[in-house]
Amino acid sequence: MAESAMMSHAGPGAVHAGALEESAYGIQTKKLAMWLFITADAATFGAVLFAYGYLRVGAANWSRPFAFFPSILNGIVMTVVLLTSSLTMLTAVAAAQRGRTAACVRWMGATALLGAVFAALHLREWFKMFHEGWSPSTNPMGGPPQFGATFFGITGLHLLHVTCGVLAIVVIALMVRRGRLTAAHVETTGLYWHFVDLVWMFVFPLVYLMNAR
Amino acid sequence: MTTSSESRHGPTMRVYVTVWIALLCLVGAEVLLAYAHLRTPVLLAALLVLAVLEAGVALLFFMHLRYERPTLFWSLIPVLIFVFVLMDHIWPDALRLSSLRAP
Repeated sequence: MAESAMMSHAGPGAVHAGALEESAYGIQTKKLAMWLFITADAATFGAVLFAYGYLRVGAANWSRPFAFFPSILNGIVMTVVLLTSSLTMLTAVAAAQRGRTAACVRWMGATALLGAVFAALHLREWFKMFHEGWSPSTNPMGGPPQFGATFFGITGLHLLHVTCGVLAIVVIALMVRRGRLTAAHVETTGLYWHFVDLVWMFVFPLVYLMNAR
Repeated sequence: MTTSSESRHGPTMRVYVTVWIALLCLVGAEVLLAYAHLRTPVLLAALLVLAVLEAGVALLFFMHLRYERPTLFWSLIPVLIFVFVLMDHIWPDALRLSSLRAP
């Protein structure tokens, strides 16, 4: 009786608290949605890397163009930059959870900057390879042209994720500074950024180190 | 800025830095392996093992999966592993192709 009285006085769109079930995962919906996206994206990257592995194993003369200097060294620097950006993102999340908005925004800015550095180093590698005659359909070393297709496809897909991540971090940081978003939003954004880092943990050894000369 | 109840638990910065250093060491190990003149299948297996280790550490600590409810882990990870195991079925075909090449 009391319940129906409450509902009759409630306006349209009002939600009765008792009608909501507790989440089985104990996390907010946005965080669960991010985890589901990460799972699907992991399957996508897995499929792309498996396809690359299939072509590499099946090819007779797979090219190995990456000399230690500058390509592998560049890859090492990129890996260190991306790992450090994960650390700065964690610091941003910790600051947000302690209510330190200014520190959170600064650390998110550092994360975005490191992400931009990663993207710049990656593009510099790409343009160097274009200059040497590499493209998604050409192989100046005379080996299978699939090398270019797989290399630029895999690293391009990852670079797209990095770029979107940097943009998202900047937007979230600006909204956090204005007080419109909470620590939960920062944490959810952090999940995406750590996933991008995690994918690079597979891309660097499988695409760069396996093709080192 | 509000703090959500589920985010009050989790590792300290010391743990994060330790994990970061461990990941850098694993990357260093991968680079050393790449120049150890191993046969390609051995190198691939070794790099994959290290990559999975790095991914596991990042998932558990950086992405906080270790500190979430077990239901989240069991809902996401086994099905992802199942997908990757199914993708693994292509390797015999790739190895067949490599053995079909003319000498």
